[in-house]
Amino acid sequence: MTTVLIAEDEPLMRERLLEMLAVAWPEARVVLVAENGNDAWDGFLDCEPDVAFLDIRMPGLSGLEVAERIGKLAHVVFVTAYDQYAVDAFDAGAVDYVLKPVQADRLDKAVARLREKLDSDKRAPDDLGDLLQHLKSALPGMRQERTKWLKASVGRQIRLIDVDEVLFFQSDSKYTRVVLRDSEALVRMPLKDLLSGLDRDKFWQIHRGTVVNAGAIAAAERIDAERLQVLLRDCDEKLPVSRTFAHLFRD
Amino acid sequence: MWRRMADWHREWEDELLGVLAQPASATTAQAGYRRRMARTIATLSPIERQQLHDFSLAHRGRRGYWALAKLLMLFSLGGVLMHVFLPRMGWFAAIATANVLGVTLLLAVFSAWFNYRRLIDRRWKLVRRIFTYGPATVLALSAYKVWFLDMPAAQVLDDLPRFLGMMLGVCLLALLPQLAVSMLRYRQYEMLTEQLQAEAERERLARELSESQLRLLRAQIEPHFLFNTLGAVQQLAQHGAPRAAVLTANLITFLRSSMSDMRSEQVSLATEFGLVESYLKVMQVRMGDRLRYTLSLPPALEAVQVPSMILLTLAENAIKHGIEPSLRGGAVNLSADADGGVVRIRVEDGGVGMSTTPGAGTGLENVGHRLKLTFGEAAGLALEEGDPGLVAVVTIPCPKAGA
Repeated sequence: MTTVLIAEDEPLMRERLLEMLAVAWPEARVVLVAENGNDAWDGFLDCEPDVAFLDIRMPGLSGLEVAERIGKLAHVVFVTAYDQYAVDAFDAGAVDYVLKPVQADRLDKAVARLREKLDSDKRAPDDLGDLLQHLKSALPGMRQERTKWLKASVGRQIRLIDVDEVLFFQSDSKYTRVVLRDSEALVRMPLKDLLSGLDRDKFWQIHRGTVVNAGAIAAAERIDAERLQVLLRDCDEKLPVSRTFAHLFRD
Repeated sequence: MWRRMADWHREWEDELLGVLAQPASATTAQAGYRRRMARTIATLSPIERQQLHDFSLAHRGRRGYWALAKLLMLFSLGGVLMHVFLPRMGWFAAIATANVLGVTLLLAVFSAWFNYRRLIDRRWKLVRRIFTYGPATVLALSAYKVWFLDMPAAQVLDDLPRFLGMMLGVCLLALLPQLAVSMLRYRQYEMLTEQLQAEAERERLARELSESQLRLLRAQIEPHFLFNTLGAVQQLAQHGAPRAAVLTANLITFLRSSMSDMRSEQVSLATEFGLVESYLKVMQVRMGDRLRYTLSLPPALEAVQVPSMILLTLAENAIKHGIEPSLRGGAVNLSADADGGVVRIRVEDGGVGMSTTPGAGTGLENVGHRLKLTFGEAAGLALEEGDPGLVAVVTIPCPKAGA
């Protein structure tokens, strides 16, 4: 059975997409409905659906950024309000999109295309990297603000931490454990929300609950045929790499 | 012979008119004195050129000749009078002198009439020249008299002051009407320039105002807003939810009042608050519990006039750049108060705040601009960092106490 993720910030639009999808694609199972980009990506890692319907403008990570992270892990369909830039770019590229408010005939077409892609030898989804880069620069207001300082409470004090000095982040339910060279702290923000403010080239997500500063990585070593772990330069902790992110260390 | 001269004159006239209309064509004028003249004309200011152009066109060909003939006849009449009062002068000498003097004066006044700016610029230089070249000429002539005409030096020396006085007198006399005419014309020119500038400024302001309204119009009928709201209506209607009717009613109120607001330049604060409220009601149905809002307008300020749509623009800005990008949503608070001769309207959003609101510039710029266009420098838009979020503060001068 095909699994589907839906990410949309407006409740009524979310409901609408869900109901219409149930009609257009009865055999698909919606495994996750996210209200923002951060939840969408975090949920994606949790349930690894085959298809993701992503709204482009969402709080936190934008639909484009979630798609960038998803890469070839799933087929992406953008759900977007009318936006000339986006529509032009989509028409030129390989990616499918549905305009909001979603109408049945358009959704049927998108579903037919998805079925075709999924049925035909399960070939890998298209690589959208270039298109997404282009879209991100073309759409106004789509650039994410980078976090420079983290605030962590230590006892009665608020400690300011320079993001660049962090060796790795580790999810701790509603908190995030921030590990530095000689100390560590807890930040009152879930990792999925911290993630959207981090530079992806510098901070690599290697697990749903782990983001590591690439500059701090000493090596990656194989545990067995399937599993990898990361060794750090200034820290004895070994960080497991999940299957989803193993490609980061393949040559 | 006459025809050939008339043809030649007509052709030259056309060339000059061409240069007057398009100074760039001066370089294509016939070489020699004609090109020199064309170049001089090309350096005139646009207003001067226009004046000369109109004059030349009015006195073209036969009409010009006729006017010139009339003037020559007038000068000759002067010569006849001169002969009557100064019988020492012969008929011919008197008429010739009168014509030479008359034409000189005519040329002087003519050049002053059309080239006044240059004359005004060089007036002191001209006076200086008269005081140097005049005495020099007198001295040279006196020396000539002594050396070549063998006149007694003592007599020439005696005559010198009178001669000098006469020379300077004549020169200044010729210069004075020229200066008077050019000053008069210069004043006219300055007034005309000022008038033209004032007109251009008025036009610019009017254009800016209509442009900013056009931008408003475009921003208002944003497809995002309409499509998404209609999508929400559709979804609610499908289930027969009573909220569908309420949402539609709010959308209608919003569209109707924004349409009528857009057509008027200024609206009352009460109207503008009403418009913002219908907008926020629509947005709240769409955004659910991610959006909260409050509106507070003291009854005393309900009639205060503000440029239409500015509060709506600020509220939309608060939603778009403050609440929508925020993970937890937030509250939009709209309030107004009067204090110390000014009315302050605050639009607060408890959203993501200033540092993370890229692209919020143009809408806000437009609001500030329209405030200044309407109220002058006393009005304005200021942005403050909220806790959290952003606060936009509109300040306008209080119309009158208690209003």
